Amino acid sequence: MNTIRFWYLYLDSHPGTAIQSTEEFSLNIGETDLPGIGRKFEVSARSGDHLVIIIHDDGRRELYRLNPDDPDESISIATFEDDEARHLAGIIGGMTYQPKALETIEVALDDLVIEWFKLERDASCIGNTIGDLKVRQMTGATIIAVIDKGHQNHLIPGPDFPLAAGSTLIVAGEREQLKTLKMYLQKGL
Amino acid sequence: MDTLIFEVGLAIALIAVVGVLSTKLRFSVIPFYILVGMVVGPHAPHFGIIDLRFIESSVFIDFMGRLGVLFLLFYLGLEFSVGRLIKSGKSIVIGGSFYVAINFVSGLLLGWMMGFPLKETMVICGIMTSSSTAIVAKVLVDLKRTANPETEIIMGMIMFDDLFIAVHISILSGLVLSGATSWTGVLFTSLTALVFILLFIVVGRRLMPWIDKVLNVRSSELFLLLVIASLFLVSGFSETLHVAEAIGALLIGLVLAESAHAKRIEQLVLPFRDLFGAMFFFSFGLTIDPTSLGGAVGVAVVGVLLTILGNLLSGFFAGHASGVSAKSSVNIGFTLVSRGEFSIIMANIGKEGNLMPVIQSFAVLYVLILAVIGPLLTKESKTIYGLYQKVANRIRVRQ
Repeated sequence: MNTIRFWYLYLDSHPGTAIQSTEEFSLNIGETDLPGIGRKFEVSARSGDHLVIIIHDDGRRELYRLNPDDPDESISIATFEDDEARHLAGIIGGMTYQPKALETIEVALDDLVIEWFKLERDASCIGNTIGDLKVRQMTGATIIAVIDKGHQNHLIPGPDFPLAAGSTLIVAGEREQLKTLKMYLQKGL
Repeated sequence: MDTLIFEVGLAIALIAVVGVLSTKLRFSVIPFYILVGMVVGPHAPHFGIIDLRFIESSVFIDFMGRLGVLFLLFYLGLEFSVGRLIKSGKSIVIGGSFYVAINFVSGLLLGWMMGFPLKETMVICGIMTSSSTAIVAKVLVDLKRTANPETEIIMGMIMFDDLFIAVHISILSGLVLSGATSWTGVLFTSLTALVFILLFIVVGRRLMPWIDKVLNVRSSELFLLLVIASLFLVSGFSETLHVAEAIGALLIGLVLAESAHAKRIEQLVLPFRDLFGAMFFFSFGLTIDPTSLGGAVGVAVVGVLLTILGNLLSGFFAGHASGVSAKSSVNIGFTLVSRGEFSIIMANIGKEGNLMPVIQSFAVLYVLILAVIGPLLTKESKTIYGLYQKVANRIRVRQ
């Protein structure tokens, strides 16, 4: 269970392995100068979270998020000194802690690959069952397990198993088949 | 007995003490530096070695203050970037133009109302149109508003205002300092200044690769010497052309801002700016007789009211041009109200030109009031806007 949790974290923090991102890996970042103060970075993540990072000329970093009730206001989350911010960047970037998933994510036996990925909220397959989607016929790959949002494991899910947003799929197949599967689940046909 | 060093130490200690005090009270330090300078001086008591009259050291304190102006403007030039201003967009230019125009007109209005001559009125326009970059930036950081949408607009407008400060100081130095009496004389010196400024910037840009190469030294000691030498040489040389040394400092700052070493120079100069800048405010206070302030209270209060109204109006225009909410527009207006270092520099030009002393007294009171209530208005802008909305609603209901 512990290792699964780590994969989960890894998948959360590595958008490269998330479902739609193999093709379009980009975080939406806007940059603005604040003369006399520093530089402002506005980050919009796929999760819908909106973050503002201010780098002060004196090296301080401030994190803000927008107030959902009042778009004119920003709520301060945290302030870091320069050295703290650098340390933090290392943690977020996965430099100080090597995620376990990195060692195992590519479980490849000849052509067979086992991979993990998380279903995004806007994936087109959400709500349909594996049987409805005819996953194996359409893509050639197989969903061998699903870990749902509550971290409940479902091994070898049947055709009547519904796919829900936020759950992590463990899939097996050839590399090409897995790519097709990801596209299929995200965007339909 | 030579007590020069002790006296200068005493001055710096006084500045430091009021600095700590005002920071504790969460006020801007600038008016407090001026006030403490004003309280001591020739009329102050002396006990043995502690001589608060600063007679022996006044020349040296004055000189350090002069250096303070150079460093303040050098830093302003370093921070300023033409490219950044061009990139900042139409809404900043519109908002900034309104801001400068409205405040300038309120200066003209005040000068006219008080019956001041032209030179005095122009200095007052300068005092009233120069926002304090230092106070505004500090207040926004303290209030944790740096991420707000209107903050970009505010800092952009301040940068636009800095451009006005540069131009206005050149005009003022032609008008007030050159000693020219006729219109043609004033025009001639102002034109000389303008040609010198343009030439300097163009040549500076051309020489950039060479400057970068010369400044490419690892030793921070040599780097410092090179930078300070160029600052002093250019400022001093400007003075010989009847271009104020402050403008020279600004110019070399503007040129070096484009250099690859700009960040290193900024970090290097900052402590000098802080030390000598504080000395400048102190020495400005030293020259003012506190009893003369009474005569300027009326002018200062009218000036403050004009500035607050004018800034609300320009905040409205700037907010409108960039499409932010009415509440953010009020924020913009109130945040820009703070006045500080550059207003005092403008008043200092008036002092050097031997203009009416009431200008200095006005500047002290005006900066004192706005440096204190500016940040308060900024902090409470939400409450004030809420009150305004309540009143507006009531009027609407009654109609």
